[in-house]
Amino acid sequence: MGNKRVLVLLEIAIFAALAFVLDFIAFSMPQGGSVSLAMIPVVLMAFRRGVWAGIGTGALFGLLQLILGRYYAAPLSFGFVVLQLFLEYIAAFAVVGLAGITRSPYLKKLHDRKFFAAGLLVAAGVFVASFLRYLIHTAVGVWFFSSFAEGNVLIYSVTYNATYMVPIFLLTALVCWGLFTAAPRLTDPEN
Amino acid sequence: MMEKMIFGRYIPGDSFVHQLDPRAKILFVFLFIAVVFIANNAVTYALLLAFTLLVIVLSKIRLYFLINGLKPVLILLIFTFLLHIFFTREGDVLLEIGFIEVYEEGLRQGIFISIRFLVLVFITSILTLTTSPISITDGTEVLLHPFKRLKLPVHELALMMSISLRFIPTLMDETGKILKAQTARGSDISSGPLKERLRAVTPLLIPLFVSAFKRAEDLATAMEVRGYRGGEGRTRYRQLEWAGRDTAVLLVLAVFAGLLWYFRT
Repeated sequence: MGNKRVLVLLEIAIFAALAFVLDFIAFSMPQGGSVSLAMIPVVLMAFRRGVWAGIGTGALFGLLQLILGRYYAAPLSFGFVVLQLFLEYIAAFAVVGLAGITRSPYLKKLHDRKFFAAGLLVAAGVFVASFLRYLIHTAVGVWFFSSFAEGNVLIYSVTYNATYMVPIFLLTALVCWGLFTAAPRLTDPEN
Repeated sequence: MMEKMIFGRYIPGDSFVHQLDPRAKILFVFLFIAVVFIANNAVTYALLLAFTLLVIVLSKIRLYFLINGLKPVLILLIFTFLLHIFFTREGDVLLEIGFIEVYEEGLRQGIFISIRFLVLVFITSILTLTTSPISITDGTEVLLHPFKRLKLPVHELALMMSISLRFIPTLMDETGKILKAQTARGSDISSGPLKERLRAVTPLLIPLFVSAFKRAEDLATAMEVRGYRGGEGRTRYRQLEWAGRDTAVLLVLAVFAGLLWYFRT
């Protein structure tokens, strides 16, 4: 079919919009901060259409946040503002699309009806994605703090970013595991 | 939970700033972010504040909306202010409470970075307050046109962006409806113990995702029957027009940058 490419573009667009909407549904954490469902549509696209579609959905979600004014930047220098916005809003969500690296073994396990193994593969993909996103936020954090203080800024950034990235990983992995094994149709591109 | 959702922050109007071409406004904001960092002493920061005030007046945006947009950044602002106060150790000691010492240079730097923060938040807010998201998308598509040579899919990006923007309100409505329907059936995401709330996520997401895929498919079919074949030779419904005032605004910014450069130390 000729319109396959257009269909993928439209799914990316609609799921990026869904990520934006689901970002408002957040569980507040006991120690403050909140954990939203925003990563789930991105992971879904990565498992349904592959890594590139996932990366596209994530990057588009980041761009939407920028255009709609849902971003915060620290004005340390011109380079910092531009790079921080690019890294923390576009790159950080684009790498979530890499959750799709476990897609083909996942589809195979699903085909063999080995649901537990398929679920584990989903969690593994989400782990890779969350870890990469965590690395980006941590690196920007180190850069930010090192412009004020010497001493161990690395430890501070590592701990601070873990306080929200670990719950986000757990929530996304848990929900995607349940979702993709309960409704495998969602990750089947023919459906 | 859905009441918190505010889609975009665009406020329609007919002020001077509203009437500017989106391309001029995007360029202006981008260049302004660079210009802000020229300032490095009391005179230049005062000029920055005055210039920003002028833009606010020209945009006829009520101060309430700007202050509102400042709320979420306030913590970050106070945080960076305090970081500067406590970690800069230059100049005379102004204040000493126990082991905390506040230095003159620290206070200066703290005030300067707060002004930078304010000015940047105000100017970028004015862009999103006076320009509809769809105009920003159109403007960005044109401005990114040169990057087509680097194989950046500019047209596809703009297409996806406008479709996302078009669907955000629809999807918000739908999410709200499904949330209500599932709450009525006893699956409540916004209250109760965490375990129960997590269990309520799947019944929300499945219908939402299934209907989203359906929408994408219907839209793909609709576009195909209307002969969509990608960006080449496609005509536009919304035309952008560059007027004299758009050039003038960018010139004023250039003059302002020169003025800051003259007064900086």
